Amino acid sequence: MFKSYRKAILSVALLAAGTTVLFAEGASRTYANGKKVIDGGVTYPVKNGMTSLYHVNEEAHKAHFKLGRPATPDEIKAWDIDVMPDGTGLPEGHGTVEEGDEIYEEKCAACHFDFGAGGAGYPALQKGNAYEGQKSLTNQRVDGNDEGPIRVFGTYWPRASTLWWYIKTGMPHPHPMSLTDNEVYALCAYIISLNELKIDGEELDEEYELNREKFLKLEMPNKDGFVPKIDGKNGLENTRKFFNDFTNYGIAPLKDPKKRCMKNCFKGKPKLARISGSGISDYIPPISNKKELPKKKEGAGAEHPGKKAYEASCAVCHATDAMGAPVVGNKKDWEKRLANGIEKVYHNAIHGINGMPPKGGTSLPDDKIKEVVDYMISQSK
Amino acid sequence: MTKLSNASASETIASGRRDFFKKSAAFSVSAMAAATLVDPVKVDAKELKGDPAILEEKPWGTTFGYPVTHNRYGQPSPYEHHVTRRNTKLLSSGNWYASIAMCPIQDLEGIITPNGLFFSRCHGGVAEIDPNQHRLMIHGLVEKTLVLTMDELKRYPSVSRIHFIECPANGGPEWRGPQFPSIQFAKGMMSCAEWTGVYIKDIIKDLGLKPEARWMLAEGADNSHMGRTIPIDKVLDDAMIVWAQNGEALRPEQGYPIRLLVPGWEGNLCVKWLCRLEFASEPFYAKEETAKYTALKPSGKAIQHFYANEVNSVITSPCPEKPWTDLKKGDIVEIEGLAWSGMGTIEGVDISFDGGKNWVEAKLKGLVLPKAWTRFSYVFKWEGKPLLLSSRARDDAGHIQPTVKQEREVMGVESVYHRNAIHTWEVTAKGEVNNVQVLS
Repeated sequence: MFKSYRKAILSVALLAAGTTVLFAEGASRTYANGKKVIDGGVTYPVKNGMTSLYHVNEEAHKAHFKLGRPATPDEIKAWDIDVMPDGTGLPEGHGTVEEGDEIYEEKCAACHFDFGAGGAGYPALQKGNAYEGQKSLTNQRVDGNDEGPIRVFGTYWPRASTLWWYIKTGMPHPHPMSLTDNEVYALCAYIISLNELKIDGEELDEEYELNREKFLKLEMPNKDGFVPKIDGKNGLENTRKFFNDFTNYGIAPLKDPKKRCMKNCFKGKPKLARISGSGISDYIPPISNKKELPKKKEGAGAEHPGKKAYEASCAVCHATDAMGAPVVGNKKDWEKRLANGIEKVYHNAIHGINGMPPKGGTSLPDDKIKEVVDYMISQSK
Repeated sequence: MTKLSNASASETIASGRRDFFKKSAAFSVSAMAAATLVDPVKVDAKELKGDPAILEEKPWGTTFGYPVTHNRYGQPSPYEHHVTRRNTKLLSSGNWYASIAMCPIQDLEGIITPNGLFFSRCHGGVAEIDPNQHRLMIHGLVEKTLVLTMDELKRYPSVSRIHFIECPANGGPEWRGPQFPSIQFAKGMMSCAEWTGVYIKDIIKDLGLKPEARWMLAEGADNSHMGRTIPIDKVLDDAMIVWAQNGEALRPEQGYPIRLLVPGWEGNLCVKWLCRLEFASEPFYAKEETAKYTALKPSGKAIQHFYANEVNSVITSPCPEKPWTDLKKGDIVEIEGLAWSGMGTIEGVDISFDGGKNWVEAKLKGLVLPKAWTRFSYVFKWEGKPLLLSSRARDDAGHIQPTVKQEREVMGVESVYHRNAIHTWEVTAKGEVNNVQVLS
């Protein structure tokens, strides 16, 4: 490992000097344009026809492939279903809180419960007054505090546009894309009112009619609750800066791998947290290490009693026509044999006929031979 | 050959066979075929000393196996049926259409996950798309828009890369303490495969990307119309559109016919059933990047657009599913595990036997690749004494896994996503393995 330690130390030294780092192995902290890798990690530019351990056909990536065709305006219109915070993609339309309530009862309440309360695994759409609820976001369930942060549409989401887009393209869950734009406005109005949010200082009562213009004025309580700042022309640079400062997200920077703690890294005995009770263990299917055949499902048809013996002793001649024997699966072959009745077929099988020795050369009892014949016929209908 | 037969039995059969030969000698295959007509001869293995697995004739050695025409698409041995994805109701959003199937990482070898075991997360069921009726559209801030059929897409120069995909919620239910007596559920929201597809940069270089294009929306054609916003830096670095997984077409659970692959980043960014890429100057605020996949810190501020899965590791043997209860004192045993980093390549892994107080260096083994699972190994003499077995990985981006305490100091316990603290198994004197957390 000495070599890789040296590499990492070199990395830190070069970073300190603000230089583009490019190792023999190919890891670099910066892109070709000199900017740091946006996620705080490294990239592997192609050098001498290699990226890390992979060979690259550089000619293939330089070539210009003329594939596909331009999209028609109608095609773009049909597929461009996103709705952005500035209103791009948000159509005109309107709907009242009361209308939304009715649609909700019909199409949403079965999963999200009355008044968007949520439950049984389905998300809640509100937890009371959103302006109050937003204050819960600093809650941490530690030291006996069991009040967690409230993360619902009103308290948590930074932009209202997400709600419209979500309902239009994702709801109702079994039938997305089935609501009209007016129905989506009505449902948005209902959910906004459940969250006790105000638009332009106004509360949404039953008669309140939401439209595009009003919807775009909805300011979310937690609009400034997110980092890094991704909006505007500095969005990418803010993001780059954020993820290149490792103290922002709990990973430990390792300045010198050689100096990482190897001995007595904490005082005293380790303080342990254990699973309380038996933990979560309702696994489907249950955990097993047993190398065993799957249990036969109840009611599943049992294997034909003649199948095993057929496969072991008879298939060699009867599976194909190479031996001139009637082929299992060939209806005609067997119809011919059965013309004189099943007893004749049993008799021939037991006593031999043409190229076939008695019992096909086996020492199976007569009854077993009959079962095998039955099986072969059952597979040839 | 003591297990062979008594002479009279073979004599009888041989005479029958001779007659058969006379009658059917015309067929060249008959000699070979006839030899298999001999019934297996039972030997009373009780008389012999040794393992019945060796002494007794076995049906698979004395009869035909199934013909090559059977199982034309191969299946695992039925004896391996317990090696399977698993679910728990806790991780369902009310139904099994917006849920996750966990990968049995305890049963995997090497760094490649078989396609049928690859973890699967969907938001509106697994779409079964007809590839003839599927298109990829690229539009927005480009000079030329583009529509591709699946056949056309596959004409671009292909690239094959081994990368893990991990849901950022992997280990997320355990921020406030261990919950699962199982590695499959504690760490199974990830898998690793060789993906084949095309770099997006190879497609868009001929479309004329406008200078103000900073973000790319990727959207799926499934019920959930899953969308995520990707910064242009990643699009122009190593983001791919992939159609193959471990040498065959993507499985429906992985987005057949095509998915986005954003190496090392959150699994949900690797949009499945991909149908649309739109370039824009502003981020899109899609449902799964505000309602979910954001990490709330104790300050009340949440990280949005959280990308890379940070350096991480877990010991896979032993683990709760694969304990050491069969070991005897003094046995030599190999400790094995997986390490991965979405920010780069694994540099090394340390192992601790006392919950992270003291560490020794493990060995890496096999292929060590960027943003891919990496195996580590340590040979150990089991003395039947209780252990706290931890692993701590580091990567070439200069990061090392934090302790639980260090991570909580920055992230608290409510962030749900991106938990990469050191994982610890308690091994009892009997060799049983429990999921614990060291808070020191």
